[in-house]
Amino acid sequence: MELLKRNKVLTGVLVLLVAAGIGCWIYQLVAGLTVTGMNNGTSWGLYITSFMFFVGLSAGGLIVASSASVFHIEKYKTVALPAVILSTVCICLAGMFVLIDLGNIQNIWRLIIGPNPTSPLLWDVVVITVYLVINILYLVNMHKGNDRTVSILSRFALPTAILVHSVTAWIFGLQISMEGWYSAILAPIFVASAMDSGLGLLLITLVALNSLKIFETPKKLISSLAGLMATCIAIDAFFIFCELLTMAYPGTAGGSIILSELFAGQTAPFFWIEVIVGLIAPFVILVFAKNRENTKLVVISSACVMLGVFFKRIWLLLTSFITPDVMGAPGIISGSSSAAHSTGLDVFAVLSSYAPTAIEIFVVLGVVSLGVLAFIWLTSKLVVEDAKPASTSESSPAQADGARA
Amino acid sequence: MTRLAQVINLENCIGCQTCVHSCKMQNNVPMGLTWNRVLSDGEDVLDGASGVFPNLSRTYLPVACQHCQNASCQRVCPTGATYRDDEGRVLVDYSKCIGCRMCMAACPYNARVFNWHEPVRDPDFNYGGKDVPVRPKGVVEKCTLCKERAAEGKEPMCVQNCPTKARTYGDLDDPNSEASKLVREHKAYVLLEEQGNNPSLHYFD
Repeated sequence: MELLKRNKVLTGVLVLLVAAGIGCWIYQLVAGLTVTGMNNGTSWGLYITSFMFFVGLSAGGLIVASSASVFHIEKYKTVALPAVILSTVCICLAGMFVLIDLGNIQNIWRLIIGPNPTSPLLWDVVVITVYLVINILYLVNMHKGNDRTVSILSRFALPTAILVHSVTAWIFGLQISMEGWYSAILAPIFVASAMDSGLGLLLITLVALNSLKIFETPKKLISSLAGLMATCIAIDAFFIFCELLTMAYPGTAGGSIILSELFAGQTAPFFWIEVIVGLIAPFVILVFAKNRENTKLVVISSACVMLGVFFKRIWLLLTSFITPDVMGAPGIISGSSSAAHSTGLDVFAVLSSYAPTAIEIFVVLGVVSLGVLAFIWLTSKLVVEDAKPASTSESSPAQADGARA
Repeated sequence: MTRLAQVINLENCIGCQTCVHSCKMQNNVPMGLTWNRVLSDGEDVLDGASGVFPNLSRTYLPVACQHCQNASCQRVCPTGATYRDDEGRVLVDYSKCIGCRMCMAACPYNARVFNWHEPVRDPDFNYGGKDVPVRPKGVVEKCTLCKERAAEGKEPMCVQNCPTKARTYGDLDDPNSEASKLVREHKAYVLLEEQGNNPSLHYFD
């Protein structure tokens, strides 16, 4: 609580945003998903985009923390605690986005009494639950200083973290109806982008905690993590290139439609910003060892990567919805954001489009603010307030030093 | 086994949209939704034609749920709300639907529509068949091949009302049914065969 009280203005703003988000969500529950921009043509929108994004951010954090134990990378163990706090918070947010997206949440118990084992969405519910439990166990044991349990848990945490984002990718990648989604490389792309965006968030958080003198991270470690992020960006870019080349090469009608939207169509801004700002720029910056030692450049690169991955989620999700597989006028009824609120023949849309409403944006801001609050609260509970008992049992000196500061 | 289906003669379809409205009335489909659409195939305006004058062509393509035997919507539904019954129809149990819309993403035919808000009807009453269930806000819905009418031994409303008899309803697993004969004689095809959904609805021209 200490940190929340210390930063009264920030806490106040976040609480207000959370309240606004809850208000908008209640309004959505009462009025239905019609208050969002989603429609019969583009039936998923900002909520599912955010869901993908936060699963990725979460997986990235836990992959770093658990590989420290699994591969005995001593230096990474120092930042395991903030990494797992981030991971726990992000996966909770991701789960909330799925629940918020449901049109009929009061039937959610049907998932438990009548699950359909062939549904990737069901796999995701199961894996996210397991993953959340592992995250919490990890936090609890790390907090208690049970190094042995942490190292056993990490052996489960690492594959689960990889799986959680793969399963999220399979929700999309297994759908043959969606030209832009249906790809064997989607899960590897999701894991790579989880790593780079997750590391980006971790780096920004570590630098912020450093400057607030809450938790000290050795400068060397920051540049080492930045190097790892650069590697992950390169892998991510390579996978995306493989995906696009495979889509482009046969010259099929379906592939051409998706690529023309990406290169010069509705989703082109998101695609090009991802490529230039999210992949090329941070890689070019971080590939030089000198730049990795410059904290400012590391933070800028991290922010670029996160923005790029978020935009990637947007173009991935939305591009495939634009052109229906069976096309013809009048098209899909209530098939675009504007058609959904029209009358007469305007209620149809030949090509689909989507724009989020203010309600959706406020709900997303509310959820993210709740996440920031949760992170600050957990940090003050686990890092600041418990610094003294932790410093006696904890083996990592940097953490104890940081906490004392 | 039974595999209820429709076989649609595109040569006969004149794009009059009678089936669209018959469906809407019979199935109590609210404003902003339809279970059945008649598309001007590949065109971006209704009743549009392709080609350059005088070499023009115009094809109407009625599209509703294709009642796939390998239904991608059924496979992805997390709660089993979408299921295939023993007559080969793909149906939705509205009481199990959580409104996740995974099926809408998985359906290559855009056959599914969602109740984004409380259903609005104009005129303001339930105009559908008496046995057709009223769907609440937040669930997905689509063509049922008029299962309530089938239970009374009647054809789907779109088949009954088609003024040019473009639609034939029947069991594809019965080689003697009219539908099976049409598929055989006219080498009827399915939409988006490459997607592997094995639809029951067939088309010929």
